[in-house]
Amino acid sequence: MATHSDKFGYYIFTGVLALVALAIFLGFLLLPVIQGAQAGLDTWSAICRSLGIQAGSPAQPTPPVQSAAKPVSEVVWNTAVMRGLNAANKELGAQLAQDICTACHGQTGISPDPQYPHLSGQSAFAIYKQLHDYRSGVRQHDLMSPVAKTLTDEQIIALANHYATLTRGTLDRQLEVEADPRIDHLVRTGDTARGIPGCQSCHGIGAGGPVETPTLSGQYRQYLAAQLSNYAAGRRRNDVFSRMRGIASKLSEEEIRLVSGFYAEQ
Amino acid sequence: MPIASERDVIRSELRWGLITAATVGVIFIAILSAAFAWQMNPPSNVEFIDPKTLHLSDEFTEANLGTQVQGDAIAIRMIASQFAFLPRCVVAPRGRPVTLRLASPDVIHGILVTGTNVNTMVVPGYISQVHTTFTKTGDLLMPCHEFCGMGHSQMWATVRVVEPEAFKADAQGKVACAQP
Amino acid sequence: MRSLERLTLAHLWTGFVAFAIACLLGVWQMWVRSPLTAPLSTPDRYYQSVTAHGVSMAYLLTTFFVMGFGYYVAETSLARPLPGKRWAWIAYGLGLTGGLIAAIPILLNQATVLYTFYPPLTGSALFYLGLVLVVVASWIWCAQMLVAMAQWKRSHPGQAVPLAMFGTTANAVMWLWTTVGVAVEVLFLILPAAVGLTETIDVGLSRTLFSWTLHAIVYFWLIPAYIAFYTMAPEEAGGRLYSDTMGRLTFVLFLVYSLPVGMHHLFMDPEHSTGFKFLQMTLTVLVAVPTFLTVFTISASMEIAGRLRGGKGLFGWIATLPWERPMVLATGLAFFMLWFGGGGGLINMSFGMNAMVHNTSWVTAHFHLIFGGTVVIMYFAIAYTIWPKLTGWQSPNISLQRLQIWLWAIGMMVMTLPWHYLGLQGQWRRVATFDYSNPLITPWGKWVVVSLIGGVILLISAALFIYNLVAMHRQPARKASSLQRYAQSLHTPASIPASLNGFRLWNVLVLVLMILAYGYPIAQFFLNPAPAAVVHRVD
Repeated sequence: MATHSDKFGYYIFTGVLALVALAIFLGFLLLPVIQGAQAGLDTWSAICRSLGIQAGSPAQPTPPVQSAAKPVSEVVWNTAVMRGLNAANKELGAQLAQDICTACHGQTGISPDPQYPHLSGQSAFAIYKQLHDYRSGVRQHDLMSPVAKTLTDEQIIALANHYATLTRGTLDRQLEVEADPRIDHLVRTGDTARGIPGCQSCHGIGAGGPVETPTLSGQYRQYLAAQLSNYAAGRRRNDVFSRMRGIASKLSEEEIRLVSGFYAEQ
Repeated sequence: MPIASERDVIRSELRWGLITAATVGVIFIAILSAAFAWQMNPPSNVEFIDPKTLHLSDEFTEANLGTQVQGDAIAIRMIASQFAFLPRCVVAPRGRPVTLRLASPDVIHGILVTGTNVNTMVVPGYISQVHTTFTKTGDLLMPCHEFCGMGHSQMWATVRVVEPEAFKADAQGKVACAQP
Repeated sequence: MRSLERLTLAHLWTGFVAFAIACLLGVWQMWVRSPLTAPLSTPDRYYQSVTAHGVSMAYLLTTFFVMGFGYYVAETSLARPLPGKRWAWIAYGLGLTGGLIAAIPILLNQATVLYTFYPPLTGSALFYLGLVLVVVASWIWCAQMLVAMAQWKRSHPGQAVPLAMFGTTANAVMWLWTTVGVAVEVLFLILPAAVGLTETIDVGLSRTLFSWTLHAIVYFWLIPAYIAFYTMAPEEAGGRLYSDTMGRLTFVLFLVYSLPVGMHHLFMDPEHSTGFKFLQMTLTVLVAVPTFLTVFTISASMEIAGRLRGGKGLFGWIATLPWERPMVLATGLAFFMLWFGGGGGLINMSFGMNAMVHNTSWVTAHFHLIFGGTVVIMYFAIAYTIWPKLTGWQSPNISLQRLQIWLWAIGMMVMTLPWHYLGLQGQWRRVATFDYSNPLITPWGKWVVVSLIGGVILLISAALFIYNLVAMHRQPARKASSLQRYAQSLHTPASIPASLNGFRLWNVLVLVLMILAYGYPIAQFFLNPAPAAVVHRVD
C-alpha cells in the first residue's frame, strides 16, 4: 500500500478546531451569559466566572459573609514555623526546661505526678501548639497559663524540640500488641456507626493525620482520661475544628477509661 | 449491500460515521439543554482560602458554621477535616434554594448527599460551593467520598431536611439540628 | 528461543505476575468491605492493599504488557529485527527495578497513598522514585517504537506502515504526551515534599497535572486491545479487516482526543471553572467517536468471516463464527462489555450527570468493567494467540483457555453490575468499613456480597490464566509455528493519505488542543497561585 499527500489530514485538523471553537463559544460565552442573566448577574461577571478569573459559581450569587473570627487556636503551620521546629537551639531548650519545667514534669521529662503529663519523646509540633495555646489563652491551666505567658516564640520552639528529642518511646508504634478486644477495634478502626475514626488513624505512626497530633503511648492514664473528659464536656476547646471534642463526646465513660489504660501501657 | 471496492467500504463507513456523529450530537445537545434549562453546572467556584489559616478566618470560624439565613439566601457552611465534618449535622428547608460552602484545613475530602445532586470535592486552598434545592424531607447521609487517610470510612455528616414551617432561625439567623 | 521471544515473555510474565497478586488483593478488599467478617481488616491494611492493587493493575500489568506486546508487533509486523534490543533489555531492567523499589515502601506501609497519590498525603520518596523508573523505562520503549517505524519508512519510501505497527507507534507518541503531566507532578511537586525540601504543596496544581495523565493513560492501556481487534481478530476468525483506513483513523483520533480531556476527572473540583470543564467535556464527547467507528468496522470484519463460513441472513453470520478460538470469543465478549462500560462512560463525561456518580461505586464499576473487562480480556486473548509463537509450544487444550475467558467475562459482569447500581444509591468510594446497621446502608450489603462472588470468579479465572500460560512452556504441548500473521484488509486501497502514515500533523493538533484545554488551567497556578497546603507524611 502506497501513501499519497492530500488534504485529508487538514480536513480533520480544521474540523476538530471548528468543534473546539464551538465549544469555546458555548462554554465561555453563551452558557455563562444566559445562565448569568437568569441569576441576576451581569454579562462581564458571568464570563469572568466561566474563565475562572473571578470567584463564584458561574450562575449564582455568592452568600455574603457577616461574621468575625473567634479562633480556638492561633497556631499556624506555615513553612517558617515548621522549619524552625526542625532547627531549634538545643542548649537553649535544655536550659529553659531545667529552669522552668522540671519541677513538675521531671528531670528527664518523665513526670512524677499523673496530673502533669510526661513530655519526653512527645511530638515537637504537639508541644509547640499547646504552649502557644496556653500563651494565647485558648487553653487554660492554673499553672501552665502564667508560665506560658512568659515565653517567646523562640523559647517555645526550643522547648518543643528539647522534649521531642528525649527518649521515652517513639511516636505511637503501629500497635501489634494484642489488646483488650473491647478496645482494640475502637483503637484500630473506630466506630463507623458513631462516626468515630480509630485512634490510630491520627495517633499512629505514618497515619498522615493533623500536624499537631500528640503521641499517646506511655502517657499517664489519668492524664489521658482527664483530657478526654475535658474535651467531652467542652472544658478544653483548643482542638481545631472540634476534632477531639467531636470524638470524646461520643465515648462512654467505660471507653474513656479503657482507651486511656490501653495507651498508658504501650 | 455489496462491497465491491474500497470506495464502497469508505462510503459505508461514512454512513456509519454520520450515525455516530448524530448520536454524539444528540448527547451533546441533551447536556446543553440541561445546562440552559436547569442551570446544571458542575461546582466550579474558583475561590481561594488558605487552609493553614482557615481556623483564623471570619467565614469559617466555629461559631459561623452550620446553617445561616441571610435575608432570602440560605447558606450552609461546613468544615471537612481529618476525620469529621463540622458541624456533624446541618438542617435545610425543603423546597428553598440553599448554598453549601465547604473548606478543608488539611487534605482533600469530598462530599455527596445521598438522593440529591449535591456532589463536590473539597480541596485545601479553595472554598467549594454547591447550589441546590432539597425536594424531600428526612435525614440524608453526607459521607466524605474521597480518600483522606485512615479515618476516611468513619467520616460522615447528616443533612436534615425539614418542612419550611419547621425551619426557624434564631436571633443571629442560625438554624441548628434539633437533638433527636 | 530467539531474543525477541525472551524479551516479550519477560515483559508479559512480569505484568501478569503483578496482575495475579493484585487479583488476590482485590478479592480480599471486597471481602473487607462486605458485611462478612474478613481477617486482618483494619484501615491501614485495607488502604495498603488498595495502594498495592492499584499500582499493580494500573502501572505494572499495563506498562509491561504494552511494552512487551509492542516489541513483538514491531518485529513481526515490520518483518525486521527490533533495532536496539540492548536498550529494550535495559528498559526492562529499569522498569523491573523501579517496580520492586516502589513495592518496598508499599509493603512497609510507608506509601499508603493509593495509586492516584493525591497530595497533601505524601509517602516515602522511594515509592515515587520507583514509579519514575517504570515511566523512564516506558520512554525508552517509546523511543524504540519511533525508531523502528522511522527506519522502516526510510527503507520503504512512500509505503504505508503496517497497521499493527502504526497503532503501536501512535500509542507510543500518545504515551510520551501523556506522561508529561504525572512526571512534572512527581518530579517538581511531590518528590521535593517527599524528601523534605518543601513543607507545603500546591494541591490544585498537583491534581490538574495528574488529570492530564489520568485519562490518556487508559487509552495507552486500551490501544493494544484495539490493535488486536483490527489486526488479529479478523485473522483468527478467518476473515478480512473491513477497512484498514478506518483502523488508522481510529488510532489517530485516539492520539488526538485522549489528552485534552483529563479535566473530566476534575468536574467536581473547585480549582477549575465551568468554561474549561465544558471545553474538555466537548472533547471527551468526541473520544466516543473512534470507539463507535471500531465497533462498526470490526463487526463488519467479523461479518465477512461469518459469511465466508456459510452464515446467511441478517444475523446468521454470528453463529457461524469460530467462537472456539479464544481471540474470537474474547472479541465478542469484549464488545458485549463495551456497551455497558462505554455507556457508563457517556454518563460520567456529562456535565450535569457526573454529579450523580462522582466518587461513587459507579466510577469503580465503570473502570473495572471497561479496563478490567473489555481491555484485559483482550490482553488474555493476545497472550493466548502469541504465546505459542513465543515458546514454540501450543496448548493441547484450548477449551481451558475458553473457559478462562468465559469466567472472566461472567465474573466481571457479576462484580460490576451491582457496583453500578450501588453507586446510583449513593455508595461512596474507598471505604474500608460500612456501617451496615444504618438503614440506608443495610440493603447494600447483599449486593456487595454479589460483587464479592464476582470477584471470586475473577480470581479463579486469573489463576486459570496463569495455569494456561505455564502449560505452553512445557510438555505435553504440541509444537507450534512461529509465524505471526496479521489481518489482511478487504479491499486494500492503492494508497492512503500520508497523514494516516505519520504523526507530524497530529502532534501539532495535540499541541494546539492542549494549549487551549490545559493552557490557562495550568498557568493559573503560576499567574495567581492558590494557597498551598501542609504536607501530611504517611511514612
